[in-house]
Amino acid sequence: MAGIRLKEITKTYGSVKALDQISLDIKNNEFFVIFGPAGAGKTSILNVIAGITDPDEGDVYFDEKNMNYVEPKDRDVAMVFENYALYPHKTVYENIASSMRTKMHRQPQEIIDQKVKEVAELLNITELLERQPAQASNGQRQRIALGRALVRNPNVFLMDEPLAHLDAKLRNFMRKELKSIQERLHSTTVYVTHDYTEAMSLGDRIAVVNEGKIVQTGTAGEVYEFPGTEFVAKLFGDCEINLIPGQVVQEQGKLYLKLPWENHRCLLPEDVARVLREKEVTTVDLGARSAAIEYFRTPEEGCIQGQIYTNEPLGNKVELVVKAEQAMIRFTVKVDEKFQIDEKIYLRFDMEKCLFFHSDTKEFLTRHQRQTVRGGRGNGRA
Amino acid sequence: MAELRLNHVYKMYENTAKKKRKAASLKQGNYAVKDLSLVIPDGEFIGILGPSGCGKSTTLRMIAGLEEITKGEIQIGDQDISRLHPKDRGIGLAFEDYALYPPLSVYDNIAFCLKAHKLPKEEVRKRVLEIAGIMKVETLLEEKVSALSGGQKQRVNIARALVRNPDILLLDEPLSHLDGKMRQILRGEIKRLHKMIGCTTILVTHDQMEAMSLADRIAIMKLGVLQQYGTPEEIYNDPVNLFVADFIGEPPMNLLTVRVGRKGETPVFVLKNQETIKVPRKFYPVIKDGEEYIIGIRPTNIEIVNGETYDALLEVDVFENLGEEKIISIRIEDTFLTIVAEDTEVLEKGDKIRIKMKEDRFYLFDKTTGMRIREPERR
Repeated sequence: MAGIRLKEITKTYGSVKALDQISLDIKNNEFFVIFGPAGAGKTSILNVIAGITDPDEGDVYFDEKNMNYVEPKDRDVAMVFENYALYPHKTVYENIASSMRTKMHRQPQEIIDQKVKEVAELLNITELLERQPAQASNGQRQRIALGRALVRNPNVFLMDEPLAHLDAKLRNFMRKELKSIQERLHSTTVYVTHDYTEAMSLGDRIAVVNEGKIVQTGTAGEVYEFPGTEFVAKLFGDCEINLIPGQVVQEQGKLYLKLPWENHRCLLPEDVARVLREKEVTTVDLGARSAAIEYFRTPEEGCIQGQIYTNEPLGNKVELVVKAEQAMIRFTVKVDEKFQIDEKIYLRFDMEKCLFFHSDTKEFLTRHQRQTVRGGRGNGRA
Repeated sequence: MAELRLNHVYKMYENTAKKKRKAASLKQGNYAVKDLSLVIPDGEFIGILGPSGCGKSTTLRMIAGLEEITKGEIQIGDQDISRLHPKDRGIGLAFEDYALYPPLSVYDNIAFCLKAHKLPKEEVRKRVLEIAGIMKVETLLEEKVSALSGGQKQRVNIARALVRNPDILLLDEPLSHLDGKMRQILRGEIKRLHKMIGCTTILVTHDQMEAMSLADRIAIMKLGVLQQYGTPEEIYNDPVNLFVADFIGEPPMNLLTVRVGRKGETPVFVLKNQETIKVPRKFYPVIKDGEEYIIGIRPTNIEIVNGETYDALLEVDVFENLGEEKIISIRIEDTFLTIVAEDTEVLEKGDKIRIKMKEDRFYLFDKTTGMRIREPERR
């Protein structure tokens, strides 16, 4: 068990900067997610922590100890990969036990037996112990690989897209299983994924990575509600956030946002207006997720008119793309809401739920802050 | 064109038959497709949906004439086309792997079959340009196929299938090669395309969302046997059996084994972990005390409630905040009961919640046959 600190890690492959001044501070026992699109450098970060890749510059610390010149095998990290890399000829029991039979981590038989059974219980694979991996399902195999890493009680757990291989159903299930055993893992975990649901669900904190750089670090709530840039905002959510250029205009002492539809302007909430005034911003990109868009079938006050361009079921909801003049606006509605293609629809943006970004730098400016205490208790509870 | 009808169509592949004959399983039938009857109205968009090996591609190939049928017949209107040559069936085909001619330009690929039919040059040009416009590849006509992206290739592929003005367009997993974003874009385009040209279209896919979003009507198959044929709403809201219920929907429907017990006088479903759920009144006439059933309810059809009327009191195991959605999972032995809520307070492991099921979306299945047990019609 250890905290991990990366200090200004840089790694180049030829002319490509895979990692560019990466600094991270991962706390002891934290479940830390590294999230980003393909090619962002997520796995490179993991490899630097494991010691598989030597950085060109920068330092790796486990707690206060500099690990730069410590061999991978001496770092006491356990890795779980997307492909499980199990021994096909060994039983599940022996696969899990194998990490305690190596020279480095040898344990007496009773301890091995006790630990294997403990972990098997935790991962719900007790009944598989005598089988071969070939007789286990994909989800079970991933759990076996996890079990093998778990029994060692490593300093650090590194997981590289461990669920990416599984089909959607199993992935959802395993994500919850992982979350459910999380607090019993008692070890620092660094988890790489490109799936925002995994990142939000599992991570105590999330580092969003793009092109070898860390774009933002924060809790799931922070990166979702207060994304640092438009790029981050676009990565979270099934249905990509709408970004609409707007002009800030003042009328009779009040600030309005003029959107690119004729005579369409919205009154800005006071706290948003205050920030925009302070920063002297005149043009913004309005970020509107589904929750910030109200829709009606008949004309309503303050709405823009559009037509359904496509309607796409996404499992338990439907994503609508609405063409409103030159803009395409996407948002989700409940699955039983039926809309026909080309049907007229009326949309209104709820300024209290929208995000505001700088139109040049694409950086987050502000949003309306709800007055209610987040995570307030009291209703829905027995 | 008239409707397309499949009447009791069977398909058995010769070699499987030989191999399995000794296993004496012939009677039971190792059919790739078994007794399939479908009526496909003119101009409709049909999705044939199922996991791999369910016979969906075989069905499509039989309609195209690429595969002989073992038994049964395929009709267009009153005409039996089962023995017709593929080229005489008026069918356009587009497969997952595009099978375009790599040395030819996009134009020549699309024009190929028209030229083969020796159509006058002017006419060919007119048709190719028209279709290229519809499929949005008009700027690519001079490109070589090898220079195109996956999405562009598939557009060209569909354009080539369409240029012959087919009565029926057959699409075999046309999107499964493409990445997520491209798939979504082309999915939208295919839908608009069908609306525009209105020719009968049959799409084979293993992706339930693809079928749900595109098709007017979906045929779900499993191991060569048709399970249900209906509109996306019927399939989603009124599944005939466990297979359909489980296959459609993401996250999937909660399906839990229960035993009917009593809590005082009220009948309850006893879950594997001994927790109970109130039996909805509509099931009273069809359940027996002590019997085991499987209940089904979608994650979005369960509500967390405050008051005194609730169906179950359960303990939260996992709470996930995914931004717009919150997912609450309750452990029932080796599985989860999942609730998807848009607005709920933050919950923690161990919290007790009261839940209420949407009664008209609460399903009951026979534990052995997997068939839906329907409540009597209300009068």
